[in-house]
Amino acid sequence: MKDPYEILGVAPTASTDDIQKAYRKLAKKLHPDLNPGNPEAEEKFKEVAGAYDLVGDAEKRGRFDSGEIDAAGSERPRQNYYRDYATSEQDHPYTDDSGFADFMDSEDAFAELLRRSAQAQANRRGHDLEFRLPIEFIESIAGASRRLTLPDGSTLDVIIPPGIIGGQVLRLRGKGAPGSGKGGAGDVLVELEIKPDRFFTREGDDIYLELPVTLTEAVLGARIKVLTPTGAVTMTVPKGSNTGTTLRLRGKGAPKHAGGYGDQFVKLKVILPKDPNPELEAFVSAWEGGKTYNPREEVAP
Amino acid sequence: MKISKDEFLSLAGLQHETLDAWIEEEWLRPRGSSVEQSFSDIDIARARFIRDLQVDLGVNDEGVGVILNLVDQLYGMRKTLMELRQAIRITSEQD
Repeated sequence: MKDPYEILGVAPTASTDDIQKAYRKLAKKLHPDLNPGNPEAEEKFKEVAGAYDLVGDAEKRGRFDSGEIDAAGSERPRQNYYRDYATSEQDHPYTDDSGFADFMDSEDAFAELLRRSAQAQANRRGHDLEFRLPIEFIESIAGASRRLTLPDGSTLDVIIPPGIIGGQVLRLRGKGAPGSGKGGAGDVLVELEIKPDRFFTREGDDIYLELPVTLTEAVLGARIKVLTPTGAVTMTVPKGSNTGTTLRLRGKGAPKHAGGYGDQFVKLKVILPKDPNPELEAFVSAWEGGKTYNPREEVAP
Repeated sequence: MKISKDEFLSLAGLQHETLDAWIEEEWLRPRGSSVEQSFSDIDIARARFIRDLQVDLGVNDEGVGVILNLVDQLYGMRKTLMELRQAIRITSEQD
């Protein structure tokens, strides 16, 4: 902090009277309550008041002059000034509008502006309420309905249409906070978040599923049950299928924008039995074809 | 926040007689009946302001009344100015 005498604009030899005079002169100019629109005045006033606290009374001044105390930390702490309350929103008993009553007669432009704003506020639309709703992958394809609990305790049924994409926002018109007057209620906005699925993935309107099949089903062909978002269907695994063979279930994907549906692609994965099987080992060791076929022909020498 | 008269005296650091005199002068206007006066934060801040005027600024009692009257008009105008600013924002939003 600067030298208190300097702040007050007096010589270090000034009399106590002169110091008080100098302080009063500054305080009349700088007191925050007399300068409601000027934040700078408050800063300066704090400094000036701090300086006066230090050298304004004879005893403290003696201790300061002898170096016993210094100027550090002598700034007056921030207090709540009258100005902090006087213009706050709520009505208080000291409001006095006689200073501009002449502006407020009904013909005046100010009066008109205030009237229009009061009207606009009287007919304000209610706020939108925003929610995030996690849904299962299957629900995003097939659709679902959910019951939301709103902040006021009421419930709202949300119909999730089929074929939703993650991040999509549903707007429920007029279900948000009530407006005032003719303003009407706001909307409820529901952002849908699709939880990742263990089995299904989606690309565009098509969905993909990796499906384990047995060696027998792959070699001999089979009819097996496959899960789709709209329920299980029976699918033919052709004879001689392999890991990576991809089968198409037409129309079992996500609904398309333009109508119709995407497809579900089922990628087969041949899985051998978990436990070693002596019968299988015996067969494979006797099987000549298994020894001459080289699937790595193109990959390794 | 509602504050009782006794609480107010200790929070504002005022003597009973001083407070009665200030109310008599209408420098402070507590709510409630004259028997059961109630005060709030703004009264504490205003009492502190009056103290500052008298002690720090050396204003005499006549001067305090004049200043408070002008200050109330100033704050009344500031408040209306803020309302006008808000009004302009709302009506221009509408257009």
